[in-house]
Amino acid sequence: MKFSTKLALAGVGIALLATVPWWGSAVLVQFGINALILATLAQSWNIIGGYTGYPSFGNSVFYGLGGYGVAIAMVQYGLPFPVGLAIGIGLAVGFAILLGLPVLRLRGHYFAIATLGLAEVMTAIVSNLEIAGRNVGLILPLVKGDVLFFELSLILLVVTTLAVMWISRSRFGFGLIAIRENEQAAAVMGVNTTLYKILAFALCSVFAAVAGGIHAYWITYLDPGSAFDVALNVKMIIMAVFGGPGTIFGPVLGAFVLSAISEILAAKVTSLASIFFGIVIVAAIVFMPRGFADLVRRFRQSGWRYFQENIRTYRV
Amino acid sequence: MDDILEVRSLTKRFQGLLAIDHVSFALQRNEILGLIGPNGAGKTTMISLISGTLEPSEGEVIFEGASIRRLPAYRRGRLGIARTFQVMRPFPDLTVLDNVAVGALFGATGHSQVLQDARERAQRWLEFVGLDRRAQQRAESLGGPDRKRLELAKALAMRPKVLLLDEVMAGLNHVEIEEVITVIKKVREQGISILVIEHVMKAIQSLSDRLLVLRNGEKIAEGRPQEVLSNEQVIAAYLGTKRHE
Amino acid sequence: MQLLWQILVNGVLLGGLYALMALGLVLVWGVLNIVNLAHGALIMLGAYACYYLFTGLGLDPFAALPVAMVLLFCLGYLIQRYVLNLIIRAPMFNTLLITFGFEVVITYLAQIAFSADFRTINPSYAGANFSFLGATVPLVRLLAFAVALALTLGLWLFLEHTRIGRAIRATAQNLIAARLYGVNPRHLYALTFGIGAALAGAAGTLYGVVSQINPYIGSGLTAKSFAIAIIGGLDKSIYVLAGGLFLGIVEAVTALYIGPTYTDVVSFGILVLVLIVRPTGLLGRTT
Repeated sequence: MKFSTKLALAGVGIALLATVPWWGSAVLVQFGINALILATLAQSWNIIGGYTGYPSFGNSVFYGLGGYGVAIAMVQYGLPFPVGLAIGIGLAVGFAILLGLPVLRLRGHYFAIATLGLAEVMTAIVSNLEIAGRNVGLILPLVKGDVLFFELSLILLVVTTLAVMWISRSRFGFGLIAIRENEQAAAVMGVNTTLYKILAFALCSVFAAVAGGIHAYWITYLDPGSAFDVALNVKMIIMAVFGGPGTIFGPVLGAFVLSAISEILAAKVTSLASIFFGIVIVAAIVFMPRGFADLVRRFRQSGWRYFQENIRTYRV
Repeated sequence: MDDILEVRSLTKRFQGLLAIDHVSFALQRNEILGLIGPNGAGKTTMISLISGTLEPSEGEVIFEGASIRRLPAYRRGRLGIARTFQVMRPFPDLTVLDNVAVGALFGATGHSQVLQDARERAQRWLEFVGLDRRAQQRAESLGGPDRKRLELAKALAMRPKVLLLDEVMAGLNHVEIEEVITVIKKVREQGISILVIEHVMKAIQSLSDRLLVLRNGEKIAEGRPQEVLSNEQVIAAYLGTKRHE
Repeated sequence: MQLLWQILVNGVLLGGLYALMALGLVLVWGVLNIVNLAHGALIMLGAYACYYLFTGLGLDPFAALPVAMVLLFCLGYLIQRYVLNLIIRAPMFNTLLITFGFEVVITYLAQIAFSADFRTINPSYAGANFSFLGATVPLVRLLAFAVALALTLGLWLFLEHTRIGRAIRATAQNLIAARLYGVNPRHLYALTFGIGAALAGAAGTLYGVVSQINPYIGSGLTAKSFAIAIIGGLDKSIYVLAGGLFLGIVEAVTALYIGPTYTDVVSFGILVLVLIVRPTGLLGRTT
């Protein structure tokens, strides 16, 4: 499919989505907000994980910092929402740079575990902070109308995706991809790997933080467990990996499809959404570990045998 | 003739193992210097020290009169030092063209900032090494000799002043070796100074202006090919090691 | 001084349990290259197995422990044999994601089956203490510590001195070497994961005796096990033991001098520091 076609489709999609709050049920709108925020997270992960090849398990920290930035600003200081967002972004970027420096020197799974450790540390630290309401958390002022949050989340997703689009056709993006493919070779070819990795990390922290801020304000409640939800990391990674890491629309697709499938399956047997999410993940990793993009590409050739082939490639 | 690259008393230790032992030599502008020695002599380590992939334990690396010892690898790349890897390192998921484009984007100052521009330059380098037919293939899919061409094109796209070649002829047949020799000579004609590591004796003899011999991390001979190859120590170093003709 | 000694004793007792918790994770990681994010969930299941054996059948928890281990072994064997074996040659990252999927499923099934209430396992001797050089040692904690040590030693003996154990160790090196032992690799992998799960089950039982349980403790325990594993070092069981003891003592000291809510900050902070400074662990070899 040509890029311009994809772009056109995306445009239509965005326009359609923007109208949902006016004709959709309350449940649909809520589902939509969650899906949009997850999609943004998946897309932000895409920058550091998909393009740069550093699988971060710490994006939940940026999300949480965004949420707490908004919450503390609004609850403790009575500042307006946008200021809270700015604070959240500032915190997240600061964290990305300060902690990115030592942690981005680690390779592969050590980096993943280190960021996981950071996520746990932040959760633990915040649960001890008076200003953050400790373990009990904070309650934000109520704003009625999911419409606002839906549109905000949609705009955020669009902006994040535009950023990824810019990355994919810029010198910066090429540098990131080179780092992912072979960091040592990239370095000798002139790529300032340290700088680029930190920039990528900082960039993804911005979008994750805003997502966290919007979500906190929408839910009107924030506590360390939900703000820094470590499981969120795995969710966003799975969505990005399925949709297609290192592509522009992949993570968005992955997020929407996976959310939709779990939601639909769960609608049959209520309150079991998470279980289906888990089952879908297991099934997907077994049958289509390379994501949707690969599925679409090779399904044409192999048909249903595609799934069998995948298993044969990776089994004992 | 002045020296574009100089190495002074360069030493590298790995946890007690002395890999390079106080080696000094110079690469003159526009010359082809061959670096030979038995396996494990430290040849690749030497290149890694010059390119910045490894940090020396002692000694100096001087490029165009200025010390580069403290510069990280990417800065040396931008200054004009390019290298190939013996164990070839393409960017597997990128096309052959884009692999080379990375060099054009990030190489020596004067590099392109624009992707399109870099790709055009990359295309010309692919033609230079004879890989233009494969420009859109994924680099992973290339066979041995083509991978070596790709390594070379990537390095050249950086517009280097010094090119460090690490066994670009290993595993090639006679015809392919001749082609590589021709290409390297063409590169020199462009004003680039070249340091070549090679095991294929005949090739390195005909190609090099001067030879440098390493053994167990020490320099044991340096000079014109005929002198060096008739040096007793050099012959002794190779005794017991199969000489590749 | 007295207080410090008590803290140290507490820390060591906790540390033994910690070591056991991490042991299964390290075994599976080292041999199968599987990073099991569901490890904590398996610990949780072990705890509930013991709980129901205790309250339902009246089995003493320490008698229920072997039963729980067997149950978890079977579960682990099946998971590896029929699901994980299908993806074992995929990038390690995939195992991370798939085990997360398991964690989600297991946690939710547990929530439905066991309800979200906190439970404790309270044998009749739960309150018994005795004195050790001036420190109060709860009997259950001492027993838990003893069992943990015994199992750690047992695992080491198993891996060193039995044919199957050596085959498992060989597998960590390469599969062909393992085949030389004449064991079907699918079975061997499943055995390994089963043993890892059994150890998790044992840890769960002991955890249930010394602390409260609910279906959601899984992910926290997984993270803690990671910290122990990395801090000690992944190469040998003894490193895991050292890591567990170290962390147990650090947490006990932190709880006293800084505050009980800060133990996670310190534990995970150390994890991050270790990764930054010495990724192979405090004891592991630096490559």
